[in-house]
Amino acid sequence: MDAKFELLSKLSHAFGPTGCEYEVKDIIKEEIEGLADEIYTDRLGNLIAVVRGKGEGRLMLAAHTDEVGFMITNIDDDGTLRIDAVGIDPRVMCGRQVVVGNDPRNGAKEKTRVYGIVGSKPIHLQGGDEGSRANRIEDLYIDIGATDRGDAEKYVQPGDYGTFVTEFKELAGGLIMGKAIDDRFGCAVMVETIKWLRSEKVTPPCDVYFAFTVREENGLSGARVAAFEINPTKAIVLEATAVADIAEVPDSMRVAELGKGGAISLMDRATIYSTELVNHAFEVAKKYGIKCQPKRYVSGGTDAGVIHRTREGVPTLGISAPCRYIHSATSVFHRDDYDSVCQLVRHLITE
Amino acid sequence: MIELLKKLFDAQSVSGGESPVMDVIGAELCGFCDEIKRDALGNLIAYKRGKSQNPRRIMLAAHADEIGFLVTYIEDKGFVRVTPIGGIHWFASCYSPVKFENGVMGVLVPDADAKINEYGAEKFYVDIGCSDRESAEKLVKIGMRAAVAPQLIELAGGRIAGRPLDDKIGCAVLIEAMKRLKEHSDDIYCAFTVQEEVGCRGARTASYAVMPDISIACDVTGVGDTPGSKHMAVKLGGGAAIKIKDSSVICSPEIVAELTKVAEENGIKYQHEILTGGGTDTSQMQLAGEGSVAGCISVPSRYIHTAVEMCDLADVEACVQLFVSYLSR
Repeated sequence: MDAKFELLSKLSHAFGPTGCEYEVKDIIKEEIEGLADEIYTDRLGNLIAVVRGKGEGRLMLAAHTDEVGFMITNIDDDGTLRIDAVGIDPRVMCGRQVVVGNDPRNGAKEKTRVYGIVGSKPIHLQGGDEGSRANRIEDLYIDIGATDRGDAEKYVQPGDYGTFVTEFKELAGGLIMGKAIDDRFGCAVMVETIKWLRSEKVTPPCDVYFAFTVREENGLSGARVAAFEINPTKAIVLEATAVADIAEVPDSMRVAELGKGGAISLMDRATIYSTELVNHAFEVAKKYGIKCQPKRYVSGGTDAGVIHRTREGVPTLGISAPCRYIHSATSVFHRDDYDSVCQLVRHLITE
Repeated sequence: MIELLKKLFDAQSVSGGESPVMDVIGAELCGFCDEIKRDALGNLIAYKRGKSQNPRRIMLAAHADEIGFLVTYIEDKGFVRVTPIGGIHWFASCYSPVKFENGVMGVLVPDADAKINEYGAEKFYVDIGCSDRESAEKLVKIGMRAAVAPQLIELAGGRIAGRPLDDKIGCAVLIEAMKRLKEHSDDIYCAFTVQEEVGCRGARTASYAVMPDISIACDVTGVGDTPGSKHMAVKLGGGAAIKIKDSSVICSPEIVAELTKVAEENGIKYQHEILTGGGTDTSQMQLAGEGSVAGCISVPSRYIHTAVEMCDLADVEACVQLFVSYLSR
């Protein structure tokens, strides 16, 4: 894979289930060290980097560092782990390799990482309706190889976090797959943007606050406090969106298409996006020949849901990477969309 | 009142696209308020200075948005697919004329094979008369808003039916109250809010700006006086409805008591309202900053969120009088 995707690959591999995003933020901090005018972490854990502009207001860019994952709720006598999911569809978990761990900054004694596999009752032993219905979260457990509870407790504590183990790889047709593209894609675009502003010595018209938010998948709590503190005059949320560009979905219900540029949100369950900013984004894209598309079908929600309602209100734009299979172990995006979104964001910041 | 309502009805304001009606409201209030402002989300806040040395901050709110649709897709044969904005009842909306924000007209119909129990966004389209995508795209764009076309029917006994009564009737009540209000001691911030129908989002930012001590919304409420309706004491023609509770808010008892007292003292017909489903801007105003004493005066309405929302103009007048009497007491 070419160098362009090294950063996103690193971020995709990083461990960052909702509530335990430290590893992701450490990578970002290292990347932007010395580039931003100010870098700080707020009380909830949002990492915020400021690039000062010419003073025409405050633009907030937001991407969330957390990924869908799970939490260990109990260690059973046989040494297997019971879990509760955050944002994961339990039907797609069985048989997946996972990693469980925690961080001292989260109150754990030490940084831990333990590998395991999601198991459920083998097909041979299933009775009743078990064979004909999808697994529920309570049917699943994680096997880390421990012999019993005492053995498991050497590696894992209830309250530890977990996520999938997925390698970042290139597919045919310009597609790339990996875990946590939602929303390491947005994080990578923001890091690239900071680097670009510095390498090109661009001073944006407004102060730009790059908010790498925490806990999006669990109810947008990070963005809520970040936006209150930043008090932006406008905001751009960078996300990954489901696309539903697959065979059985009729055209009218598809959200967006891979390779056709960033999906500009019109409305979702949490936000009606600023019509002025939406129109502006399409105009800018057209002017510079950058691909972008409307996010058509209305679903989901993003950090914009709390940002636009902050204080006296914030006009907000949403740009998402079209992404297949989000909220599963592996999501797939198009390499050209990464360039399109980076380009569009640069122009939106500087105009 | 009818003239004002017609103007408000004709200025389409589907949630997120409220500018046209805000222009009408701004023009109506011109000369009756000390200051008129629009905020980042589009709320219009009209300020009237009180004569007290230590005025309290009283916030009034009626939502200016209406339920409608957003264009999501244009089919090869020129049919336009939409998604709902706010609480659309598909059954109540089908086979209706639809007006887009640029004035283009169409009709909302279900797919020919749609069964009534499957009614939903996936099964509906707007036929704008075009026979292919290319000609349709010249008239309508993805992201454009639309609503069931406005209408206002004058019925017997001083009653009216049409849409969007919810909540342009509340806007009309506040506009009329601002026009009639002469002497008042408290500072009044009269907010015409955006995006109520998608979760009282405008009221949240407007009340952050105002930070009210006292807040009163004006919205429509359901009634229990029609065949087959749920048990609800509120009825059309029963007077201004002083809200006690709905599913979004428990009104502050002080304000319920005070509004009741003012109605009694001034001979204004009133009734108490407990709405078991639905919410209003009061919920956000009550939670603004450190909280405010919050209530709501509702216009009793039948058939809410249909094209024939109905109210009694005598109740509307009672609401106006209750606002004016409360604010000038």
